[in-house]
Amino acid sequence: MNSEALKLNTMRRTGRLLSLLMVALVVTPPLGAVADEREEQWKTVEQMSAEDKALFDPATSTPRDAAIPYIPAEPYPFQAPYTAEEMGYRSAEFVHIGRWPQAIVDVFGVVTSSGYINQGVSVSYTALNGRPGLEGYIHDVKPGEPYARWTMFDTFPPESEGTQQLWLPYRTDMEHRTKMDYYIYSEQLRRVRRQPQPLRDQRFPDNSQTFDDVIGRDPWEMDWQLLGTDVLYETIRFPNTRPTITQNIQGQFVERQTSAIKMMGDDYPHYRADGGIDTFVLKATIREDWLPGYGEKTLIFWVDKHLFYPLRMEKYNAKGELMMVEVRLAEHENKARGDFGYAALSTVYWNVEHDLVGFSLHDGQLQRDWTPEEEKMIFTPEFMRRKWLLQPIKSQAVIRDPEHFYLRPRLYPGKFPGERNPAVPAEIQARIDAQEAAGHLVFVTAGGAKSAETAPAQ
Amino acid sequence: MSLYASWRRAACLSALLAGAVAQAHADSAVSDMFSEVDRAMATFDPVGKYVRAPIERAVPNLRFKGFVRQWTDILLEEQGQVGFQNQDYRFLQLQNLLELETSYHIQDGLDVNAVTHVMYDGVYDWQRSKGLYANGYFKQAELYNTSERLLREFYVSYRKPSFDILVGKQQIAWGKMDGQFIDVINGMDRREAVQLETEDYEWRRMPQWMANATVHFGQNSLQFLYIFDFEQDRQALPGMPWYSPALPQSTSDIMLPVRRPQNDRFVDHEYGLRFDRVQGSLSYGLIYYYGWDKNPVSHIVGTELSGGQTLLRLEPRHERLHHAGVTADYAFALNDVPLVGTLPVVLRVEGLYTNGVRFVDFGKQALVRAGLGATDGTTKRDTVRAAVASEFGLPGRSTFILQASYYRTLDWTQNLGPGFGGGFGDEWTLIPVAFFSRPFGFTRDRLSMEATVFPVISGPDRGWQGVKTKLRLIYKVSQFVKTQLVYNGYDGGSTTDTYGQYNHWDNVGWELSYEF
Repeated sequence: MNSEALKLNTMRRTGRLLSLLMVALVVTPPLGAVADEREEQWKTVEQMSAEDKALFDPATSTPRDAAIPYIPAEPYPFQAPYTAEEMGYRSAEFVHIGRWPQAIVDVFGVVTSSGYINQGVSVSYTALNGRPGLEGYIHDVKPGEPYARWTMFDTFPPESEGTQQLWLPYRTDMEHRTKMDYYIYSEQLRRVRRQPQPLRDQRFPDNSQTFDDVIGRDPWEMDWQLLGTDVLYETIRFPNTRPTITQNIQGQFVERQTSAIKMMGDDYPHYRADGGIDTFVLKATIREDWLPGYGEKTLIFWVDKHLFYPLRMEKYNAKGELMMVEVRLAEHENKARGDFGYAALSTVYWNVEHDLVGFSLHDGQLQRDWTPEEEKMIFTPEFMRRKWLLQPIKSQAVIRDPEHFYLRPRLYPGKFPGERNPAVPAEIQARIDAQEAAGHLVFVTAGGAKSAETAPAQ
Repeated sequence: MSLYASWRRAACLSALLAGAVAQAHADSAVSDMFSEVDRAMATFDPVGKYVRAPIERAVPNLRFKGFVRQWTDILLEEQGQVGFQNQDYRFLQLQNLLELETSYHIQDGLDVNAVTHVMYDGVYDWQRSKGLYANGYFKQAELYNTSERLLREFYVSYRKPSFDILVGKQQIAWGKMDGQFIDVINGMDRREAVQLETEDYEWRRMPQWMANATVHFGQNSLQFLYIFDFEQDRQALPGMPWYSPALPQSTSDIMLPVRRPQNDRFVDHEYGLRFDRVQGSLSYGLIYYYGWDKNPVSHIVGTELSGGQTLLRLEPRHERLHHAGVTADYAFALNDVPLVGTLPVVLRVEGLYTNGVRFVDFGKQALVRAGLGATDGTTKRDTVRAAVASEFGLPGRSTFILQASYYRTLDWTQNLGPGFGGGFGDEWTLIPVAFFSRPFGFTRDRLSMEATVFPVISGPDRGWQGVKTKLRLIYKVSQFVKTQLVYNGYDGGSTTDTYGQYNHWDNVGWELSYEF
């Protein structure tokens, strides 16, 4: 923001405050006004506080590592002050699935603007070929070799029950671009088949997630720039039709009030007094030499200032059009890994082009130290033929009704103008307006609005 | 501007405006109606809700699932007499299949699994036809009414980390390719003849009683099969919709009962061995199977004179076969491909060599009929069948597969009839299959299409044997209900060729399935 805008904002705020004082005796302040104020806390790099500026190193060219010339020479996880690139590396620690061996049940799905639901439940086991974390990914495995092994055993919907996948994702660099070995066991074919790896920027069929949304992008594939700071007060928004969710926590089903779920879990120590989270806002531009022809051009991340956990991400194409908004709820799942032990509890992926609201919820997360015998047995294509769900993990997080789906994330149109343009077509804006008015997704046009009356989830 | 012209222009504008408003209302009404259907279907799972969930709640160790499926295929035209077939019917199948799968977990590693199903095909009851009469002498054509068909699978499985054993009735699918190359263990219900395809094998295989053990070590596995039950293929029979029009419905020769392997004779049992290994981007496997030909071959066991004509006494017998096969696949990605960028590719290869395939030898049969020889009217040959496929992952969630399938009879002679694994009525047959599939983004991927072309070329005799074209539109109504529309067309070739004989069998079909 420039100084004129700041003055204008100050005047606007003062005026609004006076108005609020005048009516405070008779009415409660409108929620929208509070939301507006919260949305105006963003600052450009120039406007950042001295404290934040002290954390930031504006250098754009830093010494490179002697052995791996495309990464910074300073050892990961770096020391403050951080360059934008280093912040990007730190945020790459927190990919969709935590970078440690574990067992989870992934409940995922998508709802269309007409209310069609497609969901899946998959029990997933992961093992690593190096140390946990980004450090292990960078240094412990050579490019062109698999750094992890992931299995997925589908338990829902009935059509895909028993279908399994084995992913062997590779450490990649510019010479070694094969991203993974990929096998599917089809219950209908009763065959294990090696599949071509998915194209990285393409969303999965009937889904809003792309392959890279799941597996993560390497931080050296992008140019990083710090746009400024912001305060986030919400990421994933539950509808008013879903006052509670049932979570599998350490094997026990626990009913949780959705309104009480915090963005980074209960034990995150850096919440502001008003409940917000201070974030850096980073702009990552895809490097054409690393990812030629990649469909995404610019990614904008809101990462928390202390751990660099990405709470929100926006994708723009080469024309600057908004493609997707991703927001997350995190939990401190692996306490032994300290600040690096946060993982996504739930992620919402809103594909703007098709107005697909997708989600992925990681339920029943358990760290697993696989025995050598288990590792040899489970993470092979042939194991899938055995149809053996070694450690079943149950979930009750499947969404039963389209109106119980997550809300589309907020767009924040006023933030960082010129750097981002979160404009959506009028038809989608109308659906957003209807959603904001109803407090849940609305699938009918304004004329047929009676459907907005929906019972809360039981 | 005249008053009339102004009035006309205003009327036109009003009409356009009214039309646009009406169109907008109609559009929103239609989209609201679709939305209502979508939301209703999203929660439509009555069996899951009222049967499966309560059962699984009451018996936590029990897993219960199933599906109901309705297939209908209808001929585009009714042709009357085609070859030997009286095609006085339009429906090729009106099949309704209910399948239930249960699995009871007894203790760690120990489970009992059962699959039961029942099928009713309405083609014999729901249309008037003299050409369709197979249900009169073979009830299973219409309804699965025997325990053998109803109890589809039933086996106990016991698993340890490095060892599995499954004992009971089960089906085994070997191989990785579309089509059957090393997938040789179970017989198949081939009532659909040339229209049977890989995605239907699951419901068309004939499970067998066997012991199936696998040892796992490192990236390797070794599987042993001991099969003490025999199930032959069920071919389309006279009076069925897909019975070959190139074959007569009856014969003047004397057909004796089929001599088939006996389950209670140890020497009749079958054995299989499979080794698999994964080495990074390459995985491969080897198989050996000592089994029976799933289709009997008629042996001449004598002759009779009738009306001055020599009739053959024919006894169909299943023959012992040795199969040795190989399967492998390899994955890689091509970079900087024009228009596509990165192009992920998988190569698959599979081959089977079969020793001792018995063929009917029409030359020898003719000699016996003429009283010039005393043979059993058969000839033994070895056969090879193999396929190479490339699968490409294209943008837009599209897939393209090219698969060349090759069948050859070694030391082939012109008088040989059909036999396991060999060329189709010829020394060799080549089927270069092309497959393309993609979902449509504008339907949010609910609608997808598949197109497959199967041209058949053989030599040295027949040449072009026709082409089959399959187009499929699949629509996901909900996460439980799916429907599809299928067109199968047969073109080219002569009336005795693989696809040529079915030139009048072009059909469209639809399928509706509900899984719970």
